Amino acid sequence: MRSRRDLLKSLAAATTATLSLPEPRARASTAGQPIEHPEPKADAIILLWMAGGMAAPDNLDPKRYQPFEKGLAVADVISTFPAIPTAVDGVEICQGLEEIASVLDRGTLLRSHVQPDLGSILHSRHQYHWHTGYVPPQTVACPHIGAWMSRVLGPRNPVMPAFINIGQRLEGIGENEEIKAFTTGGFFGSECGPMNLPYPDQAAAAVRPPKGMQPDRFASRYDRFKQLLKASPHGAYTSDFHQESMLRSLDNAHRLLSAKEREAFDISREPQEVRERYDTGRFGRGCLLARRLVEQGARFVEVTTEYVPFLHWDTHERGHETVARMHAEIDRPIATLIRDLEARGLLDRTLVVIASEFSRDMITEGQPGSTATDQAKSPKDFLQEPSHYGQHRHFTGGSTVALFGGGVKRGFVYGKTADERPCMAIENPVSVSDLHATLFTAMGISPRTVYDIESRPFYATEDGEGRAVEAIFG
Amino acid sequence: MIVASGSSLRAAVVAAVLAATTAAAEEPAAAIDFAHEIVPLLEKRCGECHIGDARQGGFSMNTLEATQAGGDSGLAGLVPGKADASEIIRRITSTDPDERMPSDGEPLPAAEIELLAAWVAAGGNWEPGFSFESTLWEPPLALRPVTLPEPINGREHPIDRVIDAVARAQGRELLPAASDRQFIRRVSLDLTGLLPSPEEVEAYAADTSPGKRTALVERLLGDEPRARLRYAEHWLTFWNDLLRNDYTGTGFITGGRKQITSWLHQALVDNTPYDAFVRELIAPSEASRGFIDGIVWRGTVNSSQTVPIQFAQNVGQTFLGINLKCASCHDSFVDRWTLQETYDLAAVMAAEPLELHRCEKPTGVMARPGWMFSDLGQVDPAAPPEERLTQLAALITHRDNGWLSRNLANRIWARLMGRGIVHPVDALRTQPWNEDLLELLAADLVEHEWDIKHLLHTICTSEAYAAVTPAFERSASSSDRFGPLPRRLTAEQFFDCLWQLTGTAPEKPDGEVKRPAAAGDEPAMVRAALVKCTPLMAALGRPNRDQVVTSRPTDLTTLEAIELANEQSLADQLAQGGEKILAEHGPSPEPIAEWLFAAALSRPPTPPELAACLDLLGQQPTTQTVADCLWAVMMLPEFQLIR
Repeated sequence: MRSRRDLLKSLAAATTATLSLPEPRARASTAGQPIEHPEPKADAIILLWMAGGMAAPDNLDPKRYQPFEKGLAVADVISTFPAIPTAVDGVEICQGLEEIASVLDRGTLLRSHVQPDLGSILHSRHQYHWHTGYVPPQTVACPHIGAWMSRVLGPRNPVMPAFINIGQRLEGIGENEEIKAFTTGGFFGSECGPMNLPYPDQAAAAVRPPKGMQPDRFASRYDRFKQLLKASPHGAYTSDFHQESMLRSLDNAHRLLSAKEREAFDISREPQEVRERYDTGRFGRGCLLARRLVEQGARFVEVTTEYVPFLHWDTHERGHETVARMHAEIDRPIATLIRDLEARGLLDRTLVVIASEFSRDMITEGQPGSTATDQAKSPKDFLQEPSHYGQHRHFTGGSTVALFGGGVKRGFVYGKTADERPCMAIENPVSVSDLHATLFTAMGISPRTVYDIESRPFYATEDGEGRAVEAIFG
Repeated sequence: MIVASGSSLRAAVVAAVLAATTAAAEEPAAAIDFAHEIVPLLEKRCGECHIGDARQGGFSMNTLEATQAGGDSGLAGLVPGKADASEIIRRITSTDPDERMPSDGEPLPAAEIELLAAWVAAGGNWEPGFSFESTLWEPPLALRPVTLPEPINGREHPIDRVIDAVARAQGRELLPAASDRQFIRRVSLDLTGLLPSPEEVEAYAADTSPGKRTALVERLLGDEPRARLRYAEHWLTFWNDLLRNDYTGTGFITGGRKQITSWLHQALVDNTPYDAFVRELIAPSEASRGFIDGIVWRGTVNSSQTVPIQFAQNVGQTFLGINLKCASCHDSFVDRWTLQETYDLAAVMAAEPLELHRCEKPTGVMARPGWMFSDLGQVDPAAPPEERLTQLAALITHRDNGWLSRNLANRIWARLMGRGIVHPVDALRTQPWNEDLLELLAADLVEHEWDIKHLLHTICTSEAYAAVTPAFERSASSSDRFGPLPRRLTAEQFFDCLWQLTGTAPEKPDGEVKRPAAAGDEPAMVRAALVKCTPLMAALGRPNRDQVVTSRPTDLTTLEAIELANEQSLADQLAQGGEKILAEHGPSPEPIAEWLFAAALSRPPTPPELAACLDLLGQQPTTQTVADCLWAVMMLPEFQLIR
């Protein structure tokens, strides 16, 4: 008998022998077990990404509240916002999120999400980990979770790009190269997206003729191109696969650019009253755009409160004041999105997820015992001025993820963090791998899904070991 | 009776299978995966007696052919599409204990029988070329001399003597040469990344001298300063990918990464011999050390991505075509490299002693600085790191290290012909399509003082390179693919061509390069390889170079096609081009169309094409109609593929 290693070598040979198929290639089984995809509970995902570290104690997991006082011991403060009741009896979230509180009966709060302490707390590294399921650096370009959905499931509507990313610029911001590294189809290639739409109100332009070109000129340019192609002696190469795939892509592109689905990208087509309900800024408009895109068949849409170092959720000082502003930006559009999807009968099959790369704390950087450098600009002992009041340190020991629709339980809370500092997840901790497994499972993808890349297996969740949190499914 | 019940069981299985395969036809996701479902099953159930050296009853299942042929009984082992005519299915479903397989032990579980029968019924799909015998290629380390076959039809070029002999043995016609216009476009794009000017094309087409093809190759690879620069700034892309060099990217933000652009640019302009080039990268100067220094990531880094391990992986992949990524966490499952070998290579550059980590766990075993091909000599583990690097550089570039020369020859062949002699290019220990050809090219490099331009010259002057590019099905196997394959323009080539046609090249390079001031004439166009990656370039496949990149995407995707249709900066450049072309070649439409074809496709339009262009341009062409015509020509696969 030959050894397992010999067998794997012959498998590798078999894989490299598959010269004709585009790489990477899916495996039908792993470790001798066929990969069986679960029954999907959702057809689409909207990921609302709170980039920069949304502090659980000031948002979805309120603790003991202590208002600002000069000279107050920092150790006495856990939450800087008081708790408010929600539509679910006995469940509270923070003041400022009243609208979200009113729709909480449509979803589940997962209050025990944990991240590794990666030594130096860096948003882009943790965001890379969260979005790809793998801690950077890796030896291959890892695909974003949206690219996985796009690759495994394909588009819901053949005209619509499967994976669309809203609200994040990839140029001219700090750490943009690091952000680009995970905002990508990775080894799946650009067919798996993302289509990037940094400004929701300019999204229509992404599927419109370029500026200065009327639609009729744009359409006739493509018609004339096809005439020219027909006249070409190279028409003889139509059986050539390079040529065939190139022409198919040009055709797909022009189909979207002239399809009615194109209108989904144009949020100005919404009634003014609807636009106003969403419009708290770029993020709110992004939520509206996401709803329109999912309605027309997008598979995975991410809307981010843009990541720019030291802005938005990335509070290294003036945390309280900044978070109050962020509440105002996210609260109404998120609740409006949930209600809207529900009213349109889409919420049952659309999973809306609110998540962030980690939580924050006023004292603890990373987790207790971490050697990570403290990057906050506020003291750890006594509050001297209002700018010191807030969650200025990165905390990886426990954050909250909210999930709505898409088969998750309504009015449910899963997991728990400690009531006193350090507010670690003390019940049912859920890793990035397990959370991804949950999202994949909801979409009908086995967390053990595996592709061969450079002759080795690469799994949807690390080592194929992510376990879905089945308890949150209704 | 026994036989009858055997056949009825078989009939039942086959009926179930036929039902299953009908369903499978409608549900492609249920297709049977040969590599991962069938191979392990055959290994487990049949391997002991029929795989590898074993051939009980004269039956070997090592290859498709052997499995189909069957054993001593003379009955066909496997008849694609016909489970009930295939001996392997009959024998596993037989109830006669003398016939039933496996001959020892229990019958196969019903699910496995069903799977095998379904696989046979669905055509017995077998990965092309797959064999149960090891296919890892183990040639001697040093290059082996090649005996050239006799020339056929007077085709004396050594490459042709090898390839023609194979074609002849397979009963194939030799491919005819591409037209002059096709050839000059192909070779200009391949060697300089630029379109030939209409004047160059016409002069070449009109030239009647027999040696004109060679003369053209020599001019493009020549010593004239402008030619050197064009060559260097095109091949810069190839090397930037391989050496992970870029002008922005992860790591620069904290000084954890260095460019080697000015060194690399100069080395390409000088055509530094490849052995010296590699020595300067492995035992670097300040200007070239960015390659071995890798990327210093902030925070905790898993043990397979420390700087020394990056060094081992990158040296292995870039220079030797061997994959040490698997062997960075554990002994490779897919090749013979061990964790120890990876760490030993890493330790050559490490300032501190390195402890082996297996899948993130320390093992207590220390690395001993050295490399895997000790037949050529070994690094002195007691020497300081700089000295060890110098020793390693000398060993790697030893002329008897065949992997260095084979690897580069294969990468360059793949770039020019569309597919490696070994494919994929990073798995150099896969059986080459033709061993002699690889040895021949590698030797050509080594024997001509490691002159890369000489190797390019050798390939580009062969009839094989100059042949027409036939149309291929995606499923065509290597042995069907004689002659060059169509290759998609890289993002950089696409932009260089766009800038040639529209005059919209950027004014300044971003890479740290010293470009010689051209004496007398206008400064050379700033090339796409010299500027930072733009979103459109990224969309067209210019990679993020956090990792070594060895191939570019071959297919245009829908998202890319959307960008080509409406991306604003592209539209603006086309508009500027429209204005320029109208001013230079207008105002009447015919000369515009003729110039566009000559400049972009290196040929005149056919009458129907001219008519289509005139229709687009209108009687009185405007900036807009010229821009649209330019776009239409640039979208033709003929433009975007090098043929």
